[in-house]
Amino acid sequence: MNTTLPVLTGIGSVTPYGPLAGLISAEPLEPSVITAWATPGLRRAFLVEPFRPASIVPGLKTRRLDRLSAWALVASSLALCDAGIDLGQMDRSRIAVFFATGFGCVELTEAFYQSAATNGWAGTDPITFPETLSNAPASHVALFHDLRGPNVTVSSKSFAAESSLLQAASLLRHGQADMAIVLAGDTLTQAVYEWYEAANLLSPACFRDEPMSAAGGFIPGEGVVAMVLEPAGRPAARHYATLGAGRWATGGDAQASIRELLGDVHLDFTICAGNGAPCAATSLTGLGRNLVGETLVIPAQPVAAGMGEAGGLLHLLLALSKRPGPGEALLSGRSAHGGFAALRLELS
Amino acid sequence: MIDAKKTIVVTGIGVISPYGIGLSSLRDGMLRGECCLRQARELYPGFEGTVAAVSALPPPVEGHHYSRSDRLAMAAARDAVGDLSDSGLRESGIVMASTVAGLTEIDPEISKGPAAWYRHGGLSRAASYQVSRVAASVGEHLGIQGPACAVSVACASGAMAIALAANMLLDEAAPMVLAGGSDALCPFTLSGFNSLQALDQEPCRPFSQDRKGLNLGEGAAVLVLETLAHAQQRDARILAVLRGWAMTNDASHPTAPQKDGMGLAICIERALEMAACSVEEVGYVNAHGTGTPLNDIAETHAYENAFHGRRRLIPVSSTKSYFGHCLGAAGALEAAITITVMQTGALFPTLRLNNSIESSKIDWLRGELRREPLSVAMSVSAGFGGSNAALVFGSHRQ
Repeated sequence: MNTTLPVLTGIGSVTPYGPLAGLISAEPLEPSVITAWATPGLRRAFLVEPFRPASIVPGLKTRRLDRLSAWALVASSLALCDAGIDLGQMDRSRIAVFFATGFGCVELTEAFYQSAATNGWAGTDPITFPETLSNAPASHVALFHDLRGPNVTVSSKSFAAESSLLQAASLLRHGQADMAIVLAGDTLTQAVYEWYEAANLLSPACFRDEPMSAAGGFIPGEGVVAMVLEPAGRPAARHYATLGAGRWATGGDAQASIRELLGDVHLDFTICAGNGAPCAATSLTGLGRNLVGETLVIPAQPVAAGMGEAGGLLHLLLALSKRPGPGEALLSGRSAHGGFAALRLELS
Repeated sequence: MIDAKKTIVVTGIGVISPYGIGLSSLRDGMLRGECCLRQARELYPGFEGTVAAVSALPPPVEGHHYSRSDRLAMAAARDAVGDLSDSGLRESGIVMASTVAGLTEIDPEISKGPAAWYRHGGLSRAASYQVSRVAASVGEHLGIQGPACAVSVACASGAMAIALAANMLLDEAAPMVLAGGSDALCPFTLSGFNSLQALDQEPCRPFSQDRKGLNLGEGAAVLVLETLAHAQQRDARILAVLRGWAMTNDASHPTAPQKDGMGLAICIERALEMAACSVEEVGYVNAHGTGTPLNDIAETHAYENAFHGRRRLIPVSSTKSYFGHCLGAAGALEAAITITVMQTGALFPTLRLNNSIESSKIDWLRGELRREPLSVAMSVSAGFGGSNAALVFGSHRQ
């Protein structure tokens, strides 16, 4: 085991599987019927069932927050609990929060537009406005846990979660933080769903109340996954995986880049992480057997692909939850636009 | 001994601002002491207050729908890379900051029925909504295929984009990284800051005792960053060295800064520590200096704490007094200005600063332009959500 690389020691999630600490069932899910807004017929998506955050994290107050911030608080709390971390024993000014999102606080952005439509631009809501900023969830995580290190929110076409993992690991490697909570998530709203529909991006499974076919395509989803990254060596820490080097790019020769990334490493597992795009969800990361060899391929699941830019952490969580066993793994995905992401992992 | 592979340098600066396109237009306008702030109602009927708008934005690209923030970013990035060949850029990374992004393209009518709004022309406009589009637009415009991401950390975004880009270079994730920020004026942000009563209806007065709030501006700045080794290999002109960077969070309040400025002070100290730079060496601080009552006093406390051991007063100014607060672009524009200060020795004063906050540690730059050679300067940013970022630039000795 390489002791200089960051280790994934805690996981928390608020997903269509529910709010959970650690690994999850990973059984394939069917999408739910949308009831949160009036639809022109049956419409389905991978939705988070409503729950009371304070029932999961005692004392948590989320009344003024949107779902994304509330889920980020719950997921980060569950991840820290899963990691067995006593924040009181740590220098909180050296704990980073990295949040990956595709749409940010879109619920409250829509609410702000609603207030402008109703009251005019002069009558908008001052409470809502700051919460429309994409970094609101990450700043609430910092505020709730008193984390005073770097606090960064990023978005990257197709691979926000993967790039966040890599950039958070970079902070640890360069001594800019001692620990990082990496979160990735989005909420699904009427405006987002109807945009997918108007752009003809939805799978037929969104319109039928029947089991998905294998090539179900893109079914939008929502949720937040949080993971704790820290240097190896803390006694009693969980050890889900060691995070190795990685690459992400918007184009170019993915195969050559990943071949260089892998070097002489013999892969045991390939974790597919196609995000968002209809064609990306089920492909063998677009890489081909000639690159990944005879590894055990853990296919992408539609529930994670539905989270789009933020889906990478759910892909990883679902793969880890299958408990594939120790070995070298590659988390990798291609986007419909020619981009790719690839991360090396040593699974425990 | 300098490790050329671990030393990050700036080899290009691109700017689009209310002064026009190019760093020289910004520099010359500021050297003239020209203020770009105008009445908001000239641009947005019904809005009161004062803003600074860009009038030099190139026309839209036919056949594509880019948001105004995208187009500002594309113009700044094109200006930054200058005559670099497309092949030299292809593997570069992009880290672009934005808070507004495609909000410029969406109007309140969407809330009455998104599907209908999309049917009536909103579909392509909404496609530019995501913050990641700003980075993707730069990539498409310049044919760049390396790693790209957007940073959205309120008003600290631009500086954080530069910090994250520097980390990417240390990781050898790309041979060069274009890093900066871009944000456009739009009714959404004007209305939002107005609802918070954070806008000064007159031109803002940062660090003044009778300051009343901020003015919004728009623009974009992009820095070309690379390692010293890479720059030397291609014989690039080195404009500055990014000696240190740091990011912290106040964890104090969702919108207000920490009253004692400790989060920002720690950020400044960490950036100086990375730069291996003493508090005595810093010749100028380009402050966040929004002009809001809460920010400016907290920031003053931060400087008093961070520069506590310094024997001389620390020269500080807010250049938001020239062209307003450009939100996600502010940190990048101010990084460009900080480098300009080092290159020219011209310490831009804060405009309209007649009655400054009392401080025994700070030399508030005001009145006449001061000229003073300096080799180290700092740019400081902060934002909603308690985020702080600090960048330390040094001059490069060939």
